[in-house]
Parts: sequence; C-alpha cells; structure tokens
Amino acid sequence: MNHPPLIDIQHINYIYPARNTRTGEMQSITALQDVSLQVQQGEYLVLLGHNGSGKSTLARNCNALLTPTSGRVLVAGLDTSEKANQRTIRDMVGMIFQNPDNQIIATVVEDDIAWALTVRGMPVSLINERVSSAMEAVGIVHLRGLPPHRLSGGQRQRLAIAGVLALRPQCIIADEPTAQLDPLSRAGVVSLLHQLNQQHGITIIQVTHLLEEAALAQRIIIMEQGKLVMEGTPSSIFANLEQLRQLKLAIPEPIELVARLRNVGIPLSPEALTVEAIAQEIMP
Amino acid sequence: MKDSIIITKNLSHIYQTNQSGSLQKAALLDINLEIAQGSCVGIIGITGSGKSTLVQHFNGLLRPTSGTVIVNDIDVSAKNADLALLRQRVGMLFQFPEAQLFERTVYADVAFGPRRMKLSRHEIRTRVLNALDMVGLPHREFAQRPPFELSGGQMRRVALAGVLAMSPAFLVLDEPTVGLDADVRAEFYSYLQRIKQEKEVTIVLVSHDMAEVATLADWLFVLHDGRLVMQGTPRSIYTQGDTLRKWGLAAPPLSELLTLLRKKGLAIPEDVFMLEEAFTLLQRRPFISSPTNNSG
Repeated sequence: MNHPPLIDIQHINYIYPARNTRTGEMQSITALQDVSLQVQQGEYLVLLGHNGSGKSTLARNCNALLTPTSGRVLVAGLDTSEKANQRTIRDMVGMIFQNPDNQIIATVVEDDIAWALTVRGMPVSLINERVSSAMEAVGIVHLRGLPPHRLSGGQRQRLAIAGVLALRPQCIIADEPTAQLDPLSRAGVVSLLHQLNQQHGITIIQVTHLLEEAALAQRIIIMEQGKLVMEGTPSSIFANLEQLRQLKLAIPEPIELVARLRNVGIPLSPEALTVEAIAQEIMP
Repeated sequence: MKDSIIITKNLSHIYQTNQSGSLQKAALLDINLEIAQGSCVGIIGITGSGKSTLVQHFNGLLRPTSGTVIVNDIDVSAKNADLALLRQRVGMLFQFPEAQLFERTVYADVAFGPRRMKLSRHEIRTRVLNALDMVGLPHREFAQRPPFELSGGQMRRVALAGVLAMSPAFLVLDEPTVGLDADVRAEFYSYLQRIKQEKEVTIVLVSHDMAEVATLADWLFVLHDGRLVMQGTPRSIYTQGDTLRKWGLAAPPLSELLTLLRKKGLAIPEDVFMLEEAFTLLQRRPFISSPTNNSG
C-alpha cells in the first residue's frame, strides 16, 4: 500500500454561489466540506448518497471538471487547479454521466468512439486499433456501423464508455450511469464496469444512490451534507442497516431479510450481499 | 369481478413516422383489458413498451387508431366524446408533476382545477382543504406557503392534492416517484395507500419498477413492444422471473431470492413474496441448514 494514490483529495471545500428563491439575495452553498479521500490505482470504489449529498460534486472534483474552493486534489501527482494539468488529467480520468446522449456526438458508432482520438491528431492506424478494442471491451462490435439513435439506452451507455475507453484512461468515473436504464440494462452496465476493473485494471469510481449496486465494490464511501460519513467494505457497511436508513438509503429487501434472520440466531455470513450469495448461504 | 371502470377492446395505436404516412409504427397492438372499479392496478413495461401511450387513451389525450376505449361509461374512441367531462373524472399525474405547479400559494394551486369546474366558493374551499390534509400537508401549515419553497416530495404531494381536489373517479400516476429519495418515496406511497383506502377511487400506476408497485397494486398488466403480454396478481407475476427477463423486466430482488431458494429445493409456497411472510417462513429452523454445516 505504499504506492502513491492515483487520486489524492486533501481537505477540500467546494462552495458555490446561488440566489435565494425567497429573498433574491446571493448566498454561498457549501457542497463539500473538508473532504479527504485517497483512491488507489486499480480500486473499485462506490460513492453512495441520497440526492443533494454532494457525491456528484465530489466526483467532478476528481477529474478537474470542478476544482476545489480550498484544499487540493492531486491526480497522479498533478494538481487539478493548475490549468496546464487539466488536459492530461482528463485523459487519465474519464467520465460518463446519467444520460449518455450528452456525450455522443457523431452520426455513426465507430466515428463517435474515434472522435476524441481524431482531435488529438493520432495516426489512423492507431485510431482504428483503439476503436476496435474499445468496441470489443464493451461488446458493441456488431453495432459499429449504426447511427447512435438506433441503439437502446443500455447500448448507448456502452458506447459512451467505449468513447472514454479509447483514450486508455487509468480511471473511469461513472456518475449514476444506470439511472435512466431498465433493470436488465442496469445490471449489464454495472457488470461491464466490474469487468473493465478486473480484466483491464482500470480504476472505477461509481456514483449511485442504490445500495444494491454497491454490493460488489471493494470499498464504499457514503456522503451526507457534503461530508464523508461512512467508509468501509460492503460487508462492514451493510452491517449497520439502521444507520443506512438514517442516511435515507433504501435497504434491499434480501439484505433486510438476512439481517432479521441473523437477529433471531440463524448464522448467516455478513459477506453474503448479492441475491445469489444469500441463496447459497441459506441453502448451501 | 366488480364493475369495470375501464374497458379496452382491440385497442391499437399507430404512429406515422414520416409525412406521407408510408412509415408506420404500432405503439399499441390489439390491447384488450378491463380495470375493475375501486382496484389498484400496475402497468409495467420497459421504456418504449407503450405504457404511457396506453394511459394517455384513458383521458382522451390520445384517440385509438382502431378499437374502442370505454372509460367510466364514456366512449373515448367516439368522435363526439365529452372530453371535458372525461378529464374531470380522470385525474392524471405525469412524471415530475412538480413542474406543473405555478400558483403563488399552495392553496391557489390546488384550487385551480376545482375553480375551472365552476364549483361554489364553499365547495372549492372544502375540497382543497380535504385534499391537502389527505396528502399529509395540513392546510393550517401549508395552504398559504409558496409551493416552490417546499421540498421535492412535498411539491409532488401538492400536485397530487391538485388532482384529488377534482374528485376524480380514478387516478392515473405515471412513474410518480421517479427521482425521489428512498424515504420520500416510501412516504409518497403511504399517502397513496391511504387515498386508496379512504376514497373510492381506482388507481392506475405506471412503472418500470416491479418492486415499486409490489405493495400497492392488486393486479398487474405487463406490456412489451405495444402488446399486453401478461396479466395477473403480483404474486403470480413475480414467480415468473425468467419470463419477465425476456421482456427486459426483473422481479423484485426478494422474489428473485425466493425463486432461487425454490430451485434449490426449499419448499416455499409459490405465492409468498412479501418480506414479512418470507421471514416468518424462513425463521423456522428446519428451513435453514444447521450451523454445523457452516464452514464459516
């Protein structure tokens, strides 16, 4: 653990001005308050919190989309507040959002993935190679010639991921990537992120308000009112359901069931957090 | 079965996707369904399955291309249908209804519908106050406040009160809790539960989330690609996880768990799907392997 962290957030505050709807006066809103966090290369981190807890603001501070009001953020040792570093930082730490359409620009799938490489002036042979491997990694090779609007929501989110992947980032931040998707495409996108983490060693920071999407993370951070309030492995976080409820997070029913069975003396492992693992635990 | 408040017969809705009309897309195909008076039904399907198109026929926002839709004895498909009357009887709450609030006070916003119905001042007042109390916004505290200062969940309940104040015969709610936090969502549903019990109103809930409608609905319709592919009680639908997956849907996580346990040979009755029932059943020792089997 002596490697320097990929992302090193040191005591940051993020304050923005907003107009009070009643009085019309300008006031300061503190979205992040003294947040410190280190993300290691190769980690799978989930940032959890309800609406307005500050999780998206924190995520945007990780690749210089936002820069802290005070404190500093280092990405691979580079300060995000230095203008000269920002291009390099964004190539290293890519980002995808709730709505993939916000970052799809070309009229054909392949061209869209090639876009960022083309504007960086890469040679055609290199572009072709990277576009192919990005399409392969996210499983959309068969869609390469289609216009993006013919793709389903889940496929468009995969396309957005491929566009980021083609830049060979060390880290991908996914800000509620499943919020607009149907249940099955949702599960598909989450398992794709895990696959990129395990097979390609890409650091993943996944932002979500759903506990069930956090079950397979290496580490979970929970935010509330702009502060980090809980941190730990999934099994340690899920061990405290009462506190999660207070943080306005919905407890998945299977997890609730296991907790209640454990309360009446039935020995069930706290490591069992997915439906499959829980079934295995109840009926080995 | 009680009297049906909504009946559709061979309902189809075809969109023309270009000007000449040569390209067509069937948004709904041959839908036959009946919704019983006083029931609460869920309409389930993924994005693009036709569920919003379907409910927009219930208050005459859309007319069928072919087939008939009868709502509360009004034939929506007829050319001379009384749509004004229909829309008083059908209260519709769209996604993100807080975007429809516009008045300076909560009272004025909720009173907007009843005023258009040309009711007496006294009647309007009674209805507004009752509707606000019904959704957990006591009128003494909330009636004179500007709606835009309320929280997201409260604003949605103001919109719901505005619909209730028109005393509709049935309520159509299109994904009513999208974007709300878990606790606010549960709160919204608790008021809906109360409305269901205290008012004689039929409720139609549109959702792509099975778990969300699980506690409230007593009958589910599943749409896929414009067709009605399945209907039944939640209990009967949730046991068919494999079939639901074909249509891009998933049974609630707890039902998935119980299905897995049944496959492993645990004798859990098919109709168990609520947390309380599952707990009661599973806490009985013989169901669970003894601790000695647990390698830990």
